[in-house]
Parts: sequence; structure tokens; C-alpha cells
Amino acid sequence: MLAALSRLHIATAGRLGSGPALGPKPNTEMPMSGLPNQSSQTLVGAGVGIVGAVMAWGATFISSDAGYAGVGPNALPWLVSAVLIICGGWLVWEARSGGYREMEEPSGAASGDWPAVVWVVGGIVANASLITTIGFILSCGLCFALAVRGLRVAEGQGGGGLKRSVIDLLTGVAIAAPVFWMFTKLLAINLPGLTASGWL
Amino acid sequence: MIDLWNQLMGGFATAGTPINLLWAFLGCVIGTGIGVLPGLGPAVTVAMLLPITSQVEPTASMIFFAGIYYGAMYGGSTTSILLNTPGETGTMVTALEGFKMAKSGRAGAALATAAIGSFVAGTIATILVTLFAPVVADFAVTLGPPEYFLLMLLAFTTVSAVLGKSTLRGMTSLFIGLALGLIGLDQITGQVRYTAGVPEFMDGIETVLVAVGLFAVGETLYMALYEGRSKQEINKLSSVHMTRGEWKRSIPAWLRGTLIGFPFGTIPAGGSEIPTFLSYAVERKLSKHQHEFGTTGAIEGVAGPEAANNAAVTATLVPLLTLGIPTSVTAAILLSALQNYGIQAGPQLFTTSSTLVWALIASLYIGNVMLLVLNLPLVGLWVKLLKIPKPQLYAGILIFATVGVYGMRQSAFDLFLMLGLGLAGVVMRRFDFPTAPIVVGMILGPLAEAQGRNALSIGSGHWGVFVERPLSLGLLGLLAAVLVLPKLWKLLQLRKRVG
Repeated sequence: MLAALSRLHIATAGRLGSGPALGPKPNTEMPMSGLPNQSSQTLVGAGVGIVGAVMAWGATFISSDAGYAGVGPNALPWLVSAVLIICGGWLVWEARSGGYREMEEPSGAASGDWPAVVWVVGGIVANASLITTIGFILSCGLCFALAVRGLRVAEGQGGGGLKRSVIDLLTGVAIAAPVFWMFTKLLAINLPGLTASGWL
Repeated sequence: MIDLWNQLMGGFATAGTPINLLWAFLGCVIGTGIGVLPGLGPAVTVAMLLPITSQVEPTASMIFFAGIYYGAMYGGSTTSILLNTPGETGTMVTALEGFKMAKSGRAGAALATAAIGSFVAGTIATILVTLFAPVVADFAVTLGPPEYFLLMLLAFTTVSAVLGKSTLRGMTSLFIGLALGLIGLDQITGQVRYTAGVPEFMDGIETVLVAVGLFAVGETLYMALYEGRSKQEINKLSSVHMTRGEWKRSIPAWLRGTLIGFPFGTIPAGGSEIPTFLSYAVERKLSKHQHEFGTTGAIEGVAGPEAANNAAVTATLVPLLTLGIPTSVTAAILLSALQNYGIQAGPQLFTTSSTLVWALIASLYIGNVMLLVLNLPLVGLWVKLLKIPKPQLYAGILIFATVGVYGMRQSAFDLFLMLGLGLAGVVMRRFDFPTAPIVVGMILGPLAEAQGRNALSIGSGHWGVFVERPLSLGLLGLLAAVLVLPKLWKLLQLRKRVG
């Protein structure tokens, strides 16, 4: 029954191959800007391998006290690190020998819009660093303004001037404030405020 | 049978209280909204709302979350049909024929068959859940740790190896998920693992953090990095009704879709992708209107897969409630919601938390009716959501991400982790690594490890415990079949093509 199933599945996938984002296609474009296809794939594979190696190093600190089971708390960590090292190595091998197998073409532009994403990342970092000092509403408003700017740059509209940014900040505050009130007042869930009043 | 009826009626009594009806309604509204909007799925939304588990009582919040899960399926088909950007893998097939129908001016009929089909399939599937879940639970009581361990392995395998195109990348994702699940205290010995001295790591990594980071933040960053200039066309909405002929073509497709979808939801086969494709293939084969497929859009190609999708989604509740095994990302997050309450999903759930279970099942019947009303006459309202400009939409998602992640543990450190996971999400999407195995691996991993070690304790350290019991031996065979058969089949196909 399983065999029949997978046949149908494969058959459909094949027939739908002309549809959007379906069916494997040879990946010829560069997935990350600046690096050729092979190198970036190798890098990702190496990254997986390194995670595995770090896990293995960490596993040496875990006790092997097995009790009745014969396998202790360090068994799964060793297994996970071993598999990750193997997967990493395999990925590197695939990358070096013609690229990852059965890759689906990633959607969107061939190269990344780095200035745009820096604005968005900046917004999240600002939010994470300031939330406990200036409170949820203002911090999220700032995050929103920075992120909107980045996303607008990504659309090719340009970031806009000071007036635009002030409007964005106010929009962000207008979204964050009701959310904040709903969580703190209605659901009694702790979110940081600038004052202890629970309103700001 | 009488007993079942009484319990179901009890469930309706609990779910029918004004406050619970309000939660169900709220869930359906939010679910439809996020289903329509690109960028947010039911999994992330439920994850973001997990902090409410510290305040809202379990029955109400499970009804709420189930409403979101369900609503997103209804809303997702609207976007697939009008925008051709399926938000969920389950509605991917709907986009194929639905978008073509909408393009040739039959958006209304496509939306109607999707919504009514979802209702029919959802209701039939809920009836099946009502009938079968208690039976499965009764049977599941007899399962021991070895069987549970193997069932969980089966879930891992199907989620990571069978569904994705590349087994290697699926396995990589799964083991990264398992690695994330290792952080924190070992469940059995209480030993500290991989905390690197960071106190925040002691309790492990929150589900909401991983889901929100990978999906919501990852999506936003990906948008800024790669998709800013991708333009989309929105199809025009036409009046939502079906002609007599369209009804006649839809009804059998709905029923077939339900029959295909339900069994797939109940087995650990990772959600609704396979049944929707399968239903599409069946409808295409049986249809008398072959010329419409892929050209002007065939209504069967929308009706069948939509029904299959909803039936599968509903059926995932069977393994979730009776075995505690999630078969989709959203189910995994519902499981962690239960864990937040200290409720152990599993066969005992039907006896220890029977009020909750039956209220949840009853709320599915109610939710389906609410969703039909919300989606058919009001579809025009939902379509307006698509007018929100992308920058504001995605930046707004970041605010909600902050609420979910920060609200869970009140730790700003988690917000940095969220950013890290978001960046990882971008890399995964760019290099075509599946993300579902990460979430499933992280949530199910610690449970599987505990079951595995308990099983070995029972066998006093002998691995023979997995082959000595007939049921676990059978599961072992199934596991091997799932791993080997698809590959073998591919190989045979290749050889046939070559030879």
C-alpha cells in the first residue's frame, strides 16, 4: 500500500512540475549574495558539522550514569552530535560535487538586499536591548519604525524622511499599546513598562 | 454508544458556556485573519499566544487554540485562490486550480467550494474523531514505553525523511531540533545538559521562541533580504455562490477528499501535504472535465484537496489526544500548550481530563459552523486584509513576536535568541532545509528519549525489549518499511525509465 502511495505522490509531483515552486529544478543561481553557490553550500554544511562537534565537546561533560537502562543522559547527546557531524560532512560533500541534491529554487531575488535587512535586524536588536528600560510600548514602536524602514528600502521605495519615521514610530506605538494593555490589564501577563502604572 | 453520546453532550455543555463560545469565536476570527494574511501561520500564532496559558484555564485556551488552527485552514484557502501564495503546505494544491478558476472569473465559486468543502470535511472528520478517539485511547492504554518510543521514531522518520525531498537535509533539520531539545534538565536524572552556565538555558528553550524565531522573524528577514521586489497580483472577487452543476461536481469530491484526508491525519505521517496531493491526483483522474485542469481551473481540484486538508487537520487530534504524539507543527505546539498546564497528553487524558477533551471536540463542531458563517458571507471583509502594505504587516508581526517571546519568560535574552533563530530560519529557507522537523524534533525529542530509556530500563538494559513484544516488533517493521520502501520504489522507477 505504501508503495502505491508513494507512486501516486511522485506521479502527481511530476505532473505538477510546471506549477510554481513545485518539482525539483537545477539550482543555478546564487543562494546568498557575494558567494558562489558551491562555497555558500559548503559553508552551511561546515556549519552543521561544527554544531555537531560542539555538541560532542559538550557531551563529554555529561555524566554517563546509566542506571538500569544501560544508556545514560549522555547517550542521546552523543548520538545527536555524531549524526550532525555525519550530516555536515555529507552536505559538504554534496556541495563540492555539484551542489545539494534535489534542491528547490529559493524564491525571491538572486542576491540579498543587505542594507534593508540591517535595518530590520537593528530594530530587533534595539527592541531586545531597550525593552526593560524604556518599556514594551516605546521599545516595540522603535522596533516597528526601524523594521518598516528596512522593508520599505527592500521594496525599492527608499526609507523616507524624518516625517515618515515619526509617522512609523506613532503607528508602531498605536499597534503596541493596545496589545500591551490587553496582556497586562486583561490577561495579567507581565510585560515591562516605562512606569509601574501598567499603562505605559 | 450511549456513554459516548452523554460525554459528547457534556462536552457541548462545557463548550457552550458564553465564555467558552467567546473563546471559540475569537479563535476562529483570529485564525481566519492570520490564514488570510501572508507571513503568519496557525503554528506561529498559537506559539505567540502560549503566554496566555499562565492565566487562562486549560479548556478555554485549548478551545481558543483549536479555533485558530481550524480558522487558519479556512482563511488560507482564500489567499491561495485570490493571491496564489499558499500560506500553508496544505493549501498548496488549492492554489493550483483555485487560482486558475479565479483568473477566469470564477473566484466566487472556488471560494464557496473551498469553504463549504472545509465545513463538510471538518464536520465528518469531527464525527470520526468522536467515534474513534476513545477507542484508540482504550487501546493505547495497553502500550508500553517500547511501543511509544517506536511510535515517536515513526513520527520523526515520516516528518523528516519521507516528506521532504532530500532525506539528508530533513535529517539534519530533525537532529538540530533534537539538539535544541537537549538543552536544559534531563527528564529522568535531572542532570544539566548544554546550558553553558547560562541560567536561562536551565528550563530549556521555549517552544514559542523556536517557532516564532524560525517562522515569524525568519519570514520577515527573508522578506527584507530577498522578496522586497516580488510583485503579486490579486484576483478579483466575484459573487460567492455555486451553480447547480458546480454543486454536483463538488459534493463527491468533498466526500472523497474527506475519506483520503482523515486516515493520513491519524497516522504519524506529518500533516496534510500527501493527502492533498493524493486527492488532487484522484480528482484529476476521475473528472469528466479534464480540459479544465490546469487551464481554466476545475472545481473538483479545489473541492477535493480542501476537504482532504481539513479532514487531515482534524484527524491529527486523534494521535495528539490519545497518544500524545503530534503529527504536524501546530499539533506539536498544542502539545506544548498542554505541557505548560502540566497535562500529559496520552491515553489517560480521556479519563483524567475528560471534560477538557470532550469540550474540545464539541468546540470543533461549533467552530466549523462559526467558520462557515465567517467565511462565506463575510469573505469580502477578509479580502480587505490583503490590502495592508507589506512593510507595515511584517513589521507589525515583529511586535506580536515580541509579545509571545517576552511574555513567556520575561527575559530580554530570549529576544536575542529569537533573532538568532530568525537568521537560522533565513539560511534554512534559502538552502531548502525543511523547518517542521526542527519543531517536532525539539518537542517530541525529550519525550522520545524518556520513553526510550524507560523501555531499556524495563528490559534491564537489553535492546531486545524492542523485538520481544509483538506490537513493538510490528512497529519496528513498519518503521523499516517507511524508511526503505519509498527509496526502493524510486530506484525501481529509475531503472524502468533507463531500461
